[in-house]
Amino acid sequence: MKTIKLLVVDDEENIRILFKEELEEEGYQIELASNGLEAIKKIKESNFDLIILDIKMPGMDGIQALNAIKNVNKDQPVILCSAYGEFKQDFSSWVSDGYVVKSADTRELKQTIKNILHIT
Amino acid sequence: MNPVDLLGKIIEISHSNLEIPSRISSILNIIAQEMHFEEVIVYTFDRDKRLTCKFMNQKSVLFLILNQYRCHIGEGIVGSVAQKRVPQFFTIKDIPPRFGCLFYPDLNGVIEKFKTFSFLPLSDDSYLYGVMVVISSSRETIHDSEKVLLSMLSREIGGILRASELIFSSKKRISELATLSELGKTLTSNIEPHELLKNIALIIARALNATFVTIRLEHTFLKLDSQRFTYGVIEPSIENYVKELEKEAVRTKQAISLGELAPAEHKDSFKLSLYASPMLSKNRMLGTITICGTRSQQDLALEENSQYLIHTIANYISSGLENTLLNTKLRDVVKELGDAQKRLIEQEKFRSLGEMTANIAHEIKNPLVIIGGFTKRLAKKIQFEQTENRYIDIILKEVSRLETILNEILDYVKENPILIEPCNINDCMDEILYLFNSDVTWEQVHIVKEYDKALPSIMCDGQQIKQVFINILMNAFEAMHGSGTISIKTEQIKLDNKTFAAVSITDTGGGIDPAIISNIFNPFFTTKERGTGLGLAISNKIVMNHNGHLEIENVVGKGVTFVVYLPFKNSITKEEFL
Repeated sequence: MKTIKLLVVDDEENIRILFKEELEEEGYQIELASNGLEAIKKIKESNFDLIILDIKMPGMDGIQALNAIKNVNKDQPVILCSAYGEFKQDFSSWVSDGYVVKSADTRELKQTIKNILHIT
Repeated sequence: MNPVDLLGKIIEISHSNLEIPSRISSILNIIAQEMHFEEVIVYTFDRDKRLTCKFMNQKSVLFLILNQYRCHIGEGIVGSVAQKRVPQFFTIKDIPPRFGCLFYPDLNGVIEKFKTFSFLPLSDDSYLYGVMVVISSSRETIHDSEKVLLSMLSREIGGILRASELIFSSKKRISELATLSELGKTLTSNIEPHELLKNIALIIARALNATFVTIRLEHTFLKLDSQRFTYGVIEPSIENYVKELEKEAVRTKQAISLGELAPAEHKDSFKLSLYASPMLSKNRMLGTITICGTRSQQDLALEENSQYLIHTIANYISSGLENTLLNTKLRDVVKELGDAQKRLIEQEKFRSLGEMTANIAHEIKNPLVIIGGFTKRLAKKIQFEQTENRYIDIILKEVSRLETILNEILDYVKENPILIEPCNINDCMDEILYLFNSDVTWEQVHIVKEYDKALPSIMCDGQQIKQVFINILMNAFEAMHGSGTISIKTEQIKLDNKTFAAVSITDTGGGIDPAIISNIFNPFFTTKERGTGLGLAISNKIVMNHNGHLEIENVVGKGVTFVVYLPFKNSITKEEFL
């Protein structure tokens, strides 16, 4: 079976590590980026099945990064992941494919990834 | 006693210090005794301006019969003497066929005993005060000299009646002045307008011995809790008359009585004397004073004197009242301004506080996720003993609690965009109740639904409105400690020409302490051990953003009803918020 490649974009190093370890346990291959620009550079170099994007980041924030990513590849699946809960109901207008409120409990994140990638 | 002595004696009595009724009675007794008359009776005017028997000699028999009747000026023989102010003398043989008011049925069999009848006006040069009737059963004729003497005596009695009237009117004037001075004192005192108006009603009622006095203020002038201030009780049966009179007094800017308002044929059928006077200050309508007395009450000379007095009072108090009311209005406006300013400052403070809070919450969230996330990883990697597992559980529980608090704070301080769509409130509520019903902790909660099935859909953000209902339902649940009845009612209500969907949620949780009720919408205010104090603050904000409002009906000891009002027509549109 083909390995599924995910890109985790977050400015907080320990969050990146946490998500990487948690998601690697699920069998995904994880790449990391610490900001929007770095993320765009990475998706131009290789393909990702899914990108997990933090919203509040210095430099290019998650919303700008999302638009830029969709400009490169409009079919690129992206999950927004942020401390803010209230954006949740509005994410559709930002054309992301999913929205997860950042939490120590990563079950919701994992489930959302499965839903988008149609993994049962 | 010769005529000169008689006259001298009577003049002496008339100038004595005796009370006026005793003076007149004594004189009548002397006339009866010395001039050999059986009946000497004096008619005076009552408060209806009708001639009524008022005084008599001690041995009078006719008085008790005659005083049941009264007559207008010009009516019957007594009325005609009063009208013409000329004495008339008759013997039983030459009394005219229309002798008038002496021929009452009760007099049949009595009147025939008497032989001479004399009627004398009691007047001075300008006024008529009454009529004296002198009747004899023993005397066949009255001599001319006696006629002259009777005329002189009647003049003397007229003088006493005039003095009595002067004393009465000056007493009345003094009491009016006392009333006005009392009113003046009240008006210049520094009391609240509702106290002032109540006092005015009381003073007037006391001065005029009225059944009730009611002061009604015009709405346009000043918003008080009540527009009506009453001393005494307005019987429900005459409430409408009072309102009619007030309306008429305001419309015409003239004082008016019930008699004037009613159709002529009903005029005398009213047992009440009702009178309304407008209060005008510089032609501005402040309101009306209405006074009511019972007509049968002897000492209540309401109809005319009081009409005059109430009119004077209305004029007198209007400018003072206007000043007081304007002062109060000014004070209210100043206070409102102060409150608005305070609110503005608080809002501003809260806005910056909110921004800061949002930033802090966001900054805390990341480390918290890291702490919690790695604690979980730790638990997964290492096989711990029971104690260590318990510690890990505690850490994770507290992390999740902190996360919940941070989520609520971030929800509250960030402006949420509203997604407007047609939403059926009944369905919305049912979806929530379905969730609660499947929760075992809600087993002891009895839900009573009373939906308006025809409630049209409203334009709102269904998710946010659900959050409002959930917050209120959760509060109800916690107030009842998980056991009791929650009644939910949906209906259409019209307020100020706008139609609202009103959703009432009533619990049986014992109500809210009135001391804290004004705080319950404040952010971070909570009575719960582990609450953030944001639930109702968020709900309130959401409802306000929908141009609706939240109301609380608190019954201490029973429970609380929260009513969510949401407008059907909403000016906020999808475009505005996206």
